Amino acid sequence: MQEVTAQASRVPELKPVSYKSSSELKKRLWRNKYLYVMLIPGVLFFVLFKYLPMYGLIISFQDYKPYQGITGSEWVGMEHFKRLFTEPDFLKILGNTLILFGMNIIFYFPVPIILALMLNELRGTFFKRFFQTLVYLPHFMSWVIVVSITYVMVTMDGGIINELLIYFGFEPINFLLNPGWFRPMYIIQIIWREAGWGTIIYLASIAAIDPGLYEAARMDGAGRLRQIWHITLPAIRSVIITLLILKIGSVLDLGFEHVYLMLNSMNREVAEIIDTYVYTAGLRQGQFSYSTAIGFFKSVIGLIMVMSVNKLSKKMGEEGVY
Amino acid sequence: MTKKSFTLLLSSLLTFSMLTAACGNNNGNNEAAATTDPGTSGGTNTATTEPAPEPEKPTEIKIMLPLNTAETPPDTIKAEVEKLTNTKLTYQFFPADTYEEKLNSSFATDSLPQVTYLKNQTTFIQMKESIKDGQFWEIGPYLPEFPNLNKLKPEILNNTKVEGKLYSLYIGRPLARQGIIYRKDWADKLGLKAPANLDELFAMAQAFTEKDPDGNGKKDTIGLVDRNELVYGAFKTVSSWFGTPNNWGEKDGQLAPEFTFPQYIDTMDFFKKLRDGGYMNKDFAATSKTDAVNMFVSGKAGLYIGGSMQDIDTLNKDLIKNFPDAVLDTHSMVAGPDGKFAQWMIPGYNNVVLFPKSAVKDEAELKKILAFFDKMMTPEVANLMYWGIEGKHYTVVDGKAKPADDKELIEREVKGYKDSVIGEYETNGMYQSLNVLPGRIHAEELVLENVKVGVADPTAALDSPTYTSKGVELQQIITDATYNYIYGQLDKAGFEKQVEAWKSRGGAAIIEEYNAVYKK
Amino acid sequence: MVEDRSIGGRIFAAVNFTLLALIALVTVLPFIHVVAGSFTTSAEIAASKFVLIPKVWSFEAYKFIFSTDTIFKAMGVSIGVTLIGTLFSMFITALMAYGLSRRDLDGRNVVNFLVVFTMLFHGGMIPTFLVVKELGLIDSYAALILPSAISAFNMIILKNFFQNIPEGLEESAKIDGCNDFGILFRIVLPLSMPAIATISLFYAVTYWNTYMSAILYLDDSAKWPIQVLLRQIVVLASGMDHSATLDAAVPPPDQAIKMAVIVVATLPILMVYPFLQKHFAKGAMLGSMKG
Repeated sequence: MQEVTAQASRVPELKPVSYKSSSELKKRLWRNKYLYVMLIPGVLFFVLFKYLPMYGLIISFQDYKPYQGITGSEWVGMEHFKRLFTEPDFLKILGNTLILFGMNIIFYFPVPIILALMLNELRGTFFKRFFQTLVYLPHFMSWVIVVSITYVMVTMDGGIINELLIYFGFEPINFLLNPGWFRPMYIIQIIWREAGWGTIIYLASIAAIDPGLYEAARMDGAGRLRQIWHITLPAIRSVIITLLILKIGSVLDLGFEHVYLMLNSMNREVAEIIDTYVYTAGLRQGQFSYSTAIGFFKSVIGLIMVMSVNKLSKKMGEEGVY
Repeated sequence: MTKKSFTLLLSSLLTFSMLTAACGNNNGNNEAAATTDPGTSGGTNTATTEPAPEPEKPTEIKIMLPLNTAETPPDTIKAEVEKLTNTKLTYQFFPADTYEEKLNSSFATDSLPQVTYLKNQTTFIQMKESIKDGQFWEIGPYLPEFPNLNKLKPEILNNTKVEGKLYSLYIGRPLARQGIIYRKDWADKLGLKAPANLDELFAMAQAFTEKDPDGNGKKDTIGLVDRNELVYGAFKTVSSWFGTPNNWGEKDGQLAPEFTFPQYIDTMDFFKKLRDGGYMNKDFAATSKTDAVNMFVSGKAGLYIGGSMQDIDTLNKDLIKNFPDAVLDTHSMVAGPDGKFAQWMIPGYNNVVLFPKSAVKDEAELKKILAFFDKMMTPEVANLMYWGIEGKHYTVVDGKAKPADDKELIEREVKGYKDSVIGEYETNGMYQSLNVLPGRIHAEELVLENVKVGVADPTAALDSPTYTSKGVELQQIITDATYNYIYGQLDKAGFEKQVEAWKSRGGAAIIEEYNAVYKK
Repeated sequence: MVEDRSIGGRIFAAVNFTLLALIALVTVLPFIHVVAGSFTTSAEIAASKFVLIPKVWSFEAYKFIFSTDTIFKAMGVSIGVTLIGTLFSMFITALMAYGLSRRDLDGRNVVNFLVVFTMLFHGGMIPTFLVVKELGLIDSYAALILPSAISAFNMIILKNFFQNIPEGLEESAKIDGCNDFGILFRIVLPLSMPAIATISLFYAVTYWNTYMSAILYLDDSAKWPIQVLLRQIVVLASGMDHSATLDAAVPPPDQAIKMAVIVVATLPILMVYPFLQKHFAKGAMLGSMKG
């Protein structure tokens, strides 16, 4: 223990260390031995439950039959990927997925941040907690419920919103079947269900800000908006960037259940995304290999996105996620 | 593969993670649960400790089946069945909604139990490849040994055969239950009779919309309420009245899909006219079954055409709470443009049971299990599983079963087993239901009438590899095109273009494959 | 926070309050609809579409779901799994996150990358099932916890919070003779209460929502958590599953019962947040730094 402490005090910690000699590396490794011990349960978990099962990805290159297993199934090479890329609707489906994703980033992603800032500016602990609790409620409604409530609100057959439109002398709008309305509806539903829940993480990082900073700013005569801009936002920047990078990695995961429940024959041209396509073309027909191959494709795209964004963020002086 | 060392490695890793995890409590719980609940886990204990005077030990059978109720039923019924059949049963229910996932993962890891119920015809089609590969027992040759199983209807057994061999027992369903459920009180008020043909059906939908059948002075009703489902909604039933074949029909001696027949187009035109006129719900392509039912029971719509006229009981229950004077009736004999009647028929089964070779080790074991199913097809056991315990869940009136008033008790204790009964009342001798609602009694008569003009699906017993691997995906093209046509987004040429797309993406192969086996 | 009494500050506060009140109203209305629906009949739900105050009060739905002990048992399982799972997950997540948060740890970037990698690539249901099976976890509650013990997302977020703690604090602790475990448990964790509360909440909600692992790994339905019951009834009653409800022999469950089950299955997890909220209090970090 003494040795560790002694060394710790000698080595400058704050700047990244460069290897000068292997003996220095060894010393450092030994000094950090407890940190490595801390990693063991976690690493074990990832190896056991995440990396061991990854051999399952092999079936993307096979004609997998459950009864033959991975060892017995026939190898087909890139066949499934070829099928995916030559699918007549492939570009359309990929495009739909990317557009929904883009809208997600532009219209949904900032909302929890703004909401968290608004909640933070509320006066009085009671109201703060009360509103926080209310806006996070929708997260606990399953998509089945959200979609069925949406139907009741917007249907042409006596839905509340269309009744109001007619009452005020407007034409009713076909929200459910008009392809033009699918994307806005999707985003509104996401914002409604997830925005409040998304604030929690930002509120936690705002809570860690030193109140002294605000006091000092007020002394300088800074108004509320200036305080938000100069103190709050910079303080939560690293959380925002981390969340953004992780979100971008899940570029092709848009919530199967949600989209599937909103999908119908009339809006399919804009609403069919990769996940719903996998369900119809793969899973419902027992096409395990094809489904896995599409999943593989999604993962590769996600990986490329994460790596590029992470690199970009490091160039901009952030830490990135790895 | 060195499976043993792998297991060893994993278990040592696990022990370690358990140690670091301090999960001891958790394991304790498991054991406690296992010992306090002998009904659900491992029957071996009770079987060995029991002083068994009978020479024959109860057969232990593990059964996996989909759960169509909110919760797993208690052992009330199971205990009785065990007594009657000298078995020790373990029922493993899994939610129907995610049953395929469970089925697939159990199958791929050799963990299927001795008796495996599938979920529906689609899962059966998916399993066909593995059945052909010999993963399940062929039971055809054993059936003659079992007098009750031997009663199963040969034409339905034939529909479940794979390459001419029988591997499964079926859960029977009436062949043609579909038809109209309508507001008789509205029809009477407007002086309308049950529609004898399609024009009258259209006229009824129109009158229900325009002539204020509920008499509230407002034009707030519609004729037909339909939903986002072409087969079990109104579309397929109406299409068969138009004379469209059931999925596939013969054209110049060749099998062709239904949507290449002119009658299919006529049906689409019929719905287009209904929708354009506002005589049906505008959003039907996005309406779920619950929403459709809600519209009907809230008095907004007067016609409900669906997969089963037997739904009338459920619809009636909520409707009369909202409108005590409402009267419902059923109807199905709607003549086509040529004056002829026709009703599409299902293949006569709802689900099947398979016997995996990985769990059923030998012929002797298989025969014991089949013996259980043979007993299940006696009136005594079939009634027990379908209706429950006499006196508690139902009473017998006029030779028919009258369910007890405590619907919740039936829902909880009996309903889970209901869908696992093999055969139908004609073959297993169980009671038919005693109906009180006149519309329901009418429905039962119509179900028998329907069959007389029934149209079977000629491909029900046929096999097409392309259909198995791409059928669902291809059907989507046609479903979308059909809705788009009805909504006026596609014209006839556009629809035919979609049919061409269907053909070029694999439909042509399906046509070829079906025709190749059809002629044989 | 000291109140800003300038005119601009007041206008700002008033506008902010009004906007939030509107947002809260929009988010809470559907929830009121569900609660109100659970206290009425399915006939009324069908007739009035969006119930906010029941015309006919009925407690039948609750009578029905509480008439056996199934829901209590399932609730017990869920509460147990959520408690033990959250504690266990927090423990190993915090260990790993702290280790990886230290910038002087050799190889941390490789491990970080490998963790992110698992967020993108999955082996799939069947290979994971095999691991669980080989570990002998089938039909044990551990199968609901171990395979999802660490969420890569939560780990990265927690690591991010730890990284923002001034390193000087750790330094001085080391000089005082603390080893890394001591630093983590005596200094870093107490300083990170908002983060710990947040991530605990995330884990708790994930464990509370456990569905698929229960179906795949637990053959004994007596061990199923509440979500299985909830989802089963919601899906059946909403008529949204295309294949399960086609068969008319199975009429869908009552709408009021569906609403009641949603209320009962959601309330316990809703209660968690208000309890954690006090840890989001301002200056928690500064206070402990000074102390």
